This record gives sequence, structure tokens and C-alpha cells, in this order.
Amino acid sequence: MVDALSPLAPVWEPGTHGDTSAGIGVGLTELAPGSIVQAAAWPGEEKALISAIAAVAGLELPDGAGGGVATEGKGAFGFAPGRFLVTDQKEGLAAAIAERVPSAMGTVTDLSHGRTALRVSGRKAEWVLSKFFAIDFSLAALPVGSGLATAHHDIFALVQRAAADQFDVIVFRSFARSFWAALRHASAEVGYEVS
Amino acid sequence: MSPRRADIGGGRIDRHRDVRFTFDGRPYSGHPGDTLASALLANGVSLVGRSFKYHRPRGVLAAGVDEPNALVTVLKGEVREPNVPATLLEVYDGLVAVSQNRFPSLDLDFAAVNQLAGGLFSAGFYYKTFMGPVVGPLKGTRFWMLCEPFIRRAAGLGRAGTAPDPDRYERMNAFCEVLVVGSGPAGLSAAKAAAASGKRVVLAELDARMGGQANWSGETIGGRPAAEWAAAQLQDLAGRPNVRLLPRTTVWGYYDDNTFSALERVADHKARMRPGEPRHRHWVIRADSVVLATGAFERPLVFPGNDRPGVMLARAAERYANEFGVVAGRRVALFTNHDGAYRAAGALKAGGAEIVALIDVRREISPEARSAALAAGGVFLTGHAVVGTEGGKALTGIKVQQYDAAAASLSGEPRSMAADCLLVSGGWSPALHLASQAGAAPRWDEPLQAFLPPEAARNWHGAGAFNGRTDTAAALSEGDAAGRKAAGLTGRAKAPPVGGPGLGSAPAPVFEIKAPGKAFVDFQHDVTAADVRLSHREGFISVEHLKRYTTLGMATDQGKTSNVPGLAIMAEARGVPIPKVGTTRFRPPFAPVSLGSLAAERFGEVKPERLTPMHDWHVAQGARMYAAGLWFRPMIYGLPGETVEQAYVREAKTVREKAGIVDVSTLGKIAVQGPDAAGFLDRVYTNMFSTLPVGKARYGLMLREDGLLLDDGTTWRLGENDFLMTTTTANAGKVMQHLEYLLDVVWPELKVHLTSVTDQWAGAAIGGPKAREILASAVTDTAVDDKALPFMGIVHGEVAGAPVMICRLSFSGEMAFEVYCGAGHGEHVWEALISAGKPFGLVPYGLEALGTLRIEKGHVTGAEIDGRTTARDLYLDGMLSKKKPFVGSGTMDREGLLADDRVRLVGVVSLDNRPLNGGAHIVERSDPDNPRDSIGHITAACYSPALGRYIALALVKGGKARHGGRAFTSDPLRGRYGPVEIVSHHFYDPEGKRLHG
Repeated sequence: MVDALSPLAPVWEPGTHGDTSAGIGVGLTELAPGSIVQAAAWPGEEKALISAIAAVAGLELPDGAGGGVATEGKGAFGFAPGRFLVTDQKEGLAAAIAERVPSAMGTVTDLSHGRTALRVSGRKAEWVLSKFFAIDFSLAALPVGSGLATAHHDIFALVQRAAADQFDVIVFRSFARSFWAALRHASAEVGYEVS
Repeated sequence: MSPRRADIGGGRIDRHRDVRFTFDGRPYSGHPGDTLASALLANGVSLVGRSFKYHRPRGVLAAGVDEPNALVTVLKGEVREPNVPATLLEVYDGLVAVSQNRFPSLDLDFAAVNQLAGGLFSAGFYYKTFMGPVVGPLKGTRFWMLCEPFIRRAAGLGRAGTAPDPDRYERMNAFCEVLVVGSGPAGLSAAKAAAASGKRVVLAELDARMGGQANWSGETIGGRPAAEWAAAQLQDLAGRPNVRLLPRTTVWGYYDDNTFSALERVADHKARMRPGEPRHRHWVIRADSVVLATGAFERPLVFPGNDRPGVMLARAAERYANEFGVVAGRRVALFTNHDGAYRAAGALKAGGAEIVALIDVRREISPEARSAALAAGGVFLTGHAVVGTEGGKALTGIKVQQYDAAAASLSGEPRSMAADCLLVSGGWSPALHLASQAGAAPRWDEPLQAFLPPEAARNWHGAGAFNGRTDTAAALSEGDAAGRKAAGLTGRAKAPPVGGPGLGSAPAPVFEIKAPGKAFVDFQHDVTAADVRLSHREGFISVEHLKRYTTLGMATDQGKTSNVPGLAIMAEARGVPIPKVGTTRFRPPFAPVSLGSLAAERFGEVKPERLTPMHDWHVAQGARMYAAGLWFRPMIYGLPGETVEQAYVREAKTVREKAGIVDVSTLGKIAVQGPDAAGFLDRVYTNMFSTLPVGKARYGLMLREDGLLLDDGTTWRLGENDFLMTTTTANAGKVMQHLEYLLDVVWPELKVHLTSVTDQWAGAAIGGPKAREILASAVTDTAVDDKALPFMGIVHGEVAGAPVMICRLSFSGEMAFEVYCGAGHGEHVWEALISAGKPFGLVPYGLEALGTLRIEKGHVTGAEIDGRTTARDLYLDGMLSKKKPFVGSGTMDREGLLADDRVRLVGVVSLDNRPLNGGAHIVERSDPDNPRDSIGHITAACYSPALGRYIALALVKGGKARHGGRAFTSDPLRGRYGPVEIVSHHFYDPEGKRLHG
């Protein structure tokens, strides 16, 4: 199988950057999951779809808007009524979920190539992301696992809190390089490490 | 020791260190913590600027954001920032500041001659003077246009620079339960009360040092100096994880849902910025509730010569003495109408100044004020007023006369008194700007002679001087109560005791002393009391008209010191009480905001770039890239020495003769999924899609609700309930919105999901006589012959190990295929196809060649589907199904859309063998001297290698009926006129034979 090429490849500069006089504020990395899948249920079928996701991906989604779950290498959250984004380091998740989702339950859309997943982590992660999104990133308002859909000017983004100081930002692939540049720009003030 | 630096006070400055700066090229020194104003005063500099209109010498009047006079320009290399208040500008080593609005220097300003023509420059000067005559060369506005450059040079508030700003700016979003604006005693108490509840608190203070007047009041709070008390509160707050302190942050806008805009001056006070540090940060703060503890502005009194350098607001002078250790003068007089001003005399005396006179318009004053006056020393004159000032560019003396406040009349003879500093105080105006922005009108308070904040219409709570309570004890208790309310708590804390002179601030209702001479109301815009009265005489009596006619309250300070005195003078002229005149409603911003902070991270990066998976390949091959919306697409792949026309002609010719490949990844792609997907497509397209078999694609037209064309594209049926819709690049977002609207609002019962998959797929269109052979050599796991892949058929296979989906469809008119693969494989598949095509002469081609090929074929794009055309206009009637309704079917047959005089699609051939231009008109008679009578316009033009001529598509009245006819192109903008022939828009291979190889 041919490896997928990252849109960030030509601009990928591992190492520390920006003002690191007070340490590394954030770490920036590309997650490059093998699968990014959207699963969407018809009204009334949400619980069935959550069960299907659990059966295939092993991710127990809580019921409720914005709820989600994040584990090592996997994540899922609801970003709109009845719509969930599921990521997995393994490939082939879309087909696997589709097998369990009949047309009467909902739809499954493979977005593995169409989205780029970035991780922002560290003590200043909330600070850096607050420059982009009008979202309350406090732990109380956005608990670990939960996520939402938002936008930074022209760039639509899905954001999931993977850990207390760790956020995954998923953007359209075509915008990824611009967003990455903006992310680096915003992180320079606090010092960042690309890895 | 600086000439005016006192031995005592100065809690804000570090006397052990010096900083060096220049003002108008002269070197000075100050201390860390100084503002430019305090440092200049400490150096004995009293002349800091020239006034807006009359170029009168001006000195420092205030000590904060309300400063109208001391505006300076800060120079950083080539970059200049004008209109920075010296009272907010913190000095640092290497600061370069210059004064404004003077030539050649502050001391010798030629335009000061304007003062002699003072009567000429009264309110309405421009309106009256620059109305040109009715006839003649300077009629109408021409006279104004002649004079404007000279006037603009003479007037104004500094000069903006032209050098690019190298700094960065940022935006920051914040959320909190309680926002406290202002960190004086009231704000600190509020923040402390709210923070103790555990709620998230943001405390914003526009000054560099938090604590407000606790830092300079000279009072005690809780038995210790107020400044120490404030420092302790701040230390406590800073240690709490639920509190964010924002010094140097001006909250300037109060918007719906308790959303606030604030400007943080992150690095203006630094000689060098840290890497990545923004200069300014634009905060957008969303607060559940807010405490407004924004304090109050001291008002000057209006009297002749009240703008002479050396005249200063009393509380400002007190602040300079106590907070910066700077005495504003050696021989100081005080002029006031209320008790509270006497505190300033004591502070300056303690700093070493001689108090020469204390002048109060009132005959009776409180025992506390009398005691403070006697302690300060000097001549104590009640029932007197200052009627003039003496001196040139600095105050040397004042003129004082007996005054009856009740009758507003002077008596006796004026007497002169020597003084180099006059402190004035005419009462206080609460800083109710944010509350006013929140939507309610302020209310007049007779005892305080001031507008107080309205009843809270939103979730805000006021405290302290903002509420008109200028005593610190009240500020502490009100702050505590407001903080608790904002945090949703009840009860109250015992406020710490306050020690101080206890002087009230209820003023006598005196705003102006009428005497001969220019008496300024608005210092920044040179508006005098006479201007306000002139405005009244000429009928501009509404407060809004007063503002616009006289410019009172405009400019950078927005009348912080002048609004109420201006209203009072108008009220007196009209013979009505002040509240009857009204007050202007404040709008954001409260104080000037840098444009950079509003642009924030978009400064220098206006829009993101959208790149296809093959972008880097195109660039590496030397393609000239072209912005198509946010996308970047190859325009041409030029060879050395080729013009654009030569390049696209070569590329298009090669496609017709051999084969070409073009990146079509930018086409909008929408996954339309669900059991009702086919039925949904029947409703949104003009033609039928439910009959489309799986594995086939179909071209579709979409109309708007008004029957005009919206977009076109092919939709592929990938599964029974799974369609891949493609749209034009430009309309992808619009079509998605249109479809989502229909599903959300019109047909919510349909089980259809839409997902943008534009970025999921990389697309390469490969076309030309050799296209099938190239594909056959590159693709595995599927056949691509006519049987396996008929026109509009879809197959799945692999290219160089990457899965691909191939649809046989054509935009160029040649046999062509669109090869889709996962975007991450895009470059890999593209390169494999390029390699496979080499033996066949395959070339990559760009948008120009793509456009040429489609013009030759008469295929339409956004240039023709321009929001004004119908399917019939473009001869696409055959696409309008008669078997089913669809969006737009009920409106597309409206009379106007069927009219004979509509412009319709035709082809145009240049008869003079010169290029045609998109946008040029088509006319029946060429008349370059008087272009007129357009019958249509060219939508797209090119040189056609297939025809060997310059051709175009056009929308022309009559359409087909004009085929074979002669007309002219008329393009006055570009000076292009010439004969054309109108022909069918199907220039090339009208039967479509080449489509099938």
C-alpha cells in the first residue's frame, strides 16, 4: 500500500522554535491517523450508531452533545446532532463501521485523506488555542474526550480534548499548511517543539 | 535630581535606575515606571504639543487616558505611531518621541499665526468658507478641493507613517464568570469578593500599575497606606488560579451577551520585544457578569486662557506628586468649585511646592476643606474665580476676580497673582462609557452635577466613582457588594476603615467663568465656549448637532474632559436644565484601538491558502500559479521565453493532438448519502438522477429558487444510496449551503446526509486522443476500454499501487477521464500518470488552456452561469425535466425569464485578428467616440489553436438569431474596438465525435 503524503511534509521542521526562555509552552505534532471517519445517524438512531462505533472501534461514547472519548491512538466525539468523528491509528475503520451501519441507521463517510489531524499539547495549549477559537477551553467546560466543531476564519475545524493539556485539531487537508503556519506563529510567543 | 522631582512620593518609579529617552530630539532621563508625561514634567518640560486648529501651545492637562493635549508620535525606526497620549506612554531606554502639529518646531510654530485669526476659525468655519461660488472655475466643491491639502497640512493630530509595521498583533478569547473593569479600590474589592467564591475572574486595568487611586490618594486603608493595601490585594489575587490579571488592558467595547473587547498593550513599554511576542493583544472576553469600576474623569473649568501650559487638573497634579514624585510647579495655585480638590494642594505642598493661592467660586465651603486649605497655605479666596492666565508658552500668573456663583457674575477688579502651575477642578464625570454602550441613557444627578450610569439593563454592576461615589470607603463597600452580586453571592464583608481628609466632591453648579478671551471647552479640538454659543445661535442646539458642528467631543479623547462642560454651556444658552439638552450615547471604542490589533493574526496574512495535493509538484515544475478563490491553481506551465498566450496555446494544442493532464482537485465534492439521496437529487437538479445506475455519472444543472442557474457539475452514483456530487470550484460552498438549507428547512424529513469531501479526493483529468492509451498503461485492476468504461462510466482500480476511481467524462471535448484517488496519494498518482504519458507526449496544462478548450467547445462555467442567466439563455433547455418538479421549476418560466430581449449564449470570432477581452461589450455599430447601445458582453475569450483565430463566448440579445451576423466589440476601458462575427458557441467538433476517440 502506498503511504499517504502529509500536506505538511515540505514545511515540517522538527525541533524547538520561538521564545523558549521560559521552557517549551506547547508541543505541536501531526497525528496522521490511519482512519478519520464520520458516522452520522438518522434521528432516533443515535444510540444504535454509538453501539456500532463501540463494537467496531472499542470506544464507548457518552450520550450527549459534544461528548467523546479519547484513548491512546483512538478517539471519538459527537460534533453535531447525531454526527460523530472517529479516529484510529489503524486504517480501514470506515469500511468496518459501514458494515455495522445499515442505511436505516445512518451513513459512514471516509475522511481519512480529507482531513489533517494536529495535536497541540503542553501547559500553554489552552492559551495558544484560545488565540484561534472562541471556545471555553477550561477543563470544566470542555472535559477530556469531548469535542466540538468550530472555525478559524475560513478554516473549519473539529477540536477534541485528548487529555487535560492535550488537544487534537482536525482541519481540511487543503487548509492544513496554512493552519499549521498560523499555529506555529501563535505558538512562537510561548516556545514550541515540533515533533 | 530632575528639577521637578520631589524627595517624597513616587511609589511607581524606581529611583535607583535611569532610563534615557528623547523628546523632539533632545535627550532626557527618567525612571522605570515613569510615563513620558511624568518624565517630561520632572525635567521641567511644560510645553508638549500644539493645539489642533489654532496651534496654541499646550501642556500636560491630565494623567491618564483622558489627556487631550499631550499627544505625541512614537518613532521606531521608520515606523511612526501618532497620537499616543504621553500620560499612558511608559518610558524605556531608547524611546524616541516627537511632538505633533507644529512646524518647524514646538517652540517656533509658524501656524501659531492662526491664533490671530481666531474669529475666522470659529465653529462651522469649513462649511461657511469653502462653499464655492455658483459659477466660475471654483464653483461648487472645487474651491474646497483646491484648499483641502493646505488645510489638512495645517490641522490635524499627527501624521501616520507609510513604512510597514513589522510588529505582530494577536487576538485572544477569554471566558469568565466575572469581569471586573478597573482596579481601583472598588475594582479590587469586587475582584476579591468574586474570586473568593471560586468563580473565574478577569480583572482588567488600563494603566500599567493596578490599584487605581489607591496608589496616589495618600489615604490609608485598613490602617496602612492605601498603595500597600492595594499591593497586598493584588498579590492575593495573583496567587489565585481562578483569577487573571490584565494590566495595560483597556476594555473598550461592551457588546451583546456580555461580550467585551479589550486592548492589551503587551509590549509598548519595552525597549525590545521577545521573540513571537505581540505588540498588542485584542481580547474578546465573554463574561457571565461584569463589575464596572471604571472611576470618573475630573472636569476642567472653562475660563479664558485655561489651556495655557501649566494649567493642570488638580487630581492629575496630585497623582504626579504622589505616584511619580513629580511636582508640576514651584508656585502653585488652585481653582475649584468643590471640596475634593483641596487634597491636591496638600500633596503638592508636601512635594515641596509653594501654594500661592486657593480660589473657590463658592463663598461657603466645608470645615474640612477650609482646614485643608489653611494647612496648604497661600492666599485663600472664596467667592472668587480665575478670569485669565498670563504667560507665553508657560504659565507665569493668573488673574483673579470676585465671583458670585449664584448669579454667575464677576465684580470688582481682576488682580494678578504669580504662579507657574494652576490646578483646576470642576467636579467629576463618572466614566460610564461602557454602561452607555450597553444601551441605556445616563441620568443627571443634581448634587454631583454629573451624569450617572443608568439602571443596569444587562448583567452589570457598578461600583465606586463610576456610581458617583468618590470617597474610598464607599468604593470599597460598593465594590465588595458588586463583586458578590456578580458572582451570585449574597451578604457583605466588613470594609476596612479608610483614613484621609474626607473631602466631598459635590461641586457648585459652575462650569464656565464668562470673561473676555478664549475659553476652551474641548482642548483637543480647539472648541471654545464661544463656539458652543455660536452653534446655539445658528440653530445647532441638539447635542448631536452641537457635536458635529463644533466637533466638540470628537477625536482621540472623545470629549472625556469636555462633554459635560459643553452641555452645560449649551444648556445655559438655551435656558434649559442640563439633562434637557441630553448627552450623546457613547459608542465603542472607549479609547483608541490599534488597527493592527483588530486585524490580529490576519495582519499580513489576510486569507489562508488552499492547496491541492499536487501543489508542490506544480510549483516545482515552474507553473505560474493563479489564485482561484482561496485555491491556488496552475495558470500555465510556461517554457523559458514563452508568453502566457504561447504557453496555453501550446498546451491546448497538445491536448487536441496528443494528451494533456490537469489538476481538478479543486472541484467541489459533496458526499450525498442516505436512502433518500436519489430522490433529493431529483429535487435539486433540473434533470433526473434517480434513474442513474450505480457506477455511472451524469451531468446536472441546478437552479436557484428564483429559476436562475445556480451551478452545474457531474454527480457519480457510487452506491445505491451513495452519490458523489461535484460542483464548480467557485460555487462549492454556495451549493453546500443551498443543499443544507433545503434539508434543514424545506425537507427535514428526507434521510440524506451531506459531507464535504472536496479534500478527500485528489483529481486529475487526462484528456486527448492518447488519453485512453496512457490510462491503460498506468491503471491496474481494471480495464479502461470502451466496454468497461463507456462515456460517463465509473471503474475502480489502482495506479502505482494506490486505489483510484476513474470516471470517463470530458470538459475539453476530447476523450477524457477523471482519475480520483485519496488526497494523500494525489502526488504519487499524478507523477505515475505523468510518467505513463511521457511516451505519448502528455503535457500538464493549466487553467488558461482549460479555459481555451472549453471555449472552443462552448461549455459554460461561472462566467456564463453568472447569477443572471437561465438554462434557456445558455441553450441548456434540454436539461429541464418535464417529468418532475425541481427547485426553480415553478419560477423559471416567469415572463421576464422568457423575454425575447434576454441575452443568450453565442460564439464570437474576431475579424481583425486581435485578441478579445472578457467583459467587453458587443455593439451593432462601432462608435469609439461615443460608446453606446450594448447588445451584450463577452464572457470569456482566448486564442483558439484549433481554429487559428481569436474567439470568445458572449451573451448577446437575440442569441442564435444573430449567428452569421456582423457586430463589433466595444471596450472603452481598454480601448479595444473592432469587428466580430457572431457564430454558434460550439466552435469545435459540434457533433462531439472526438469525445469517443
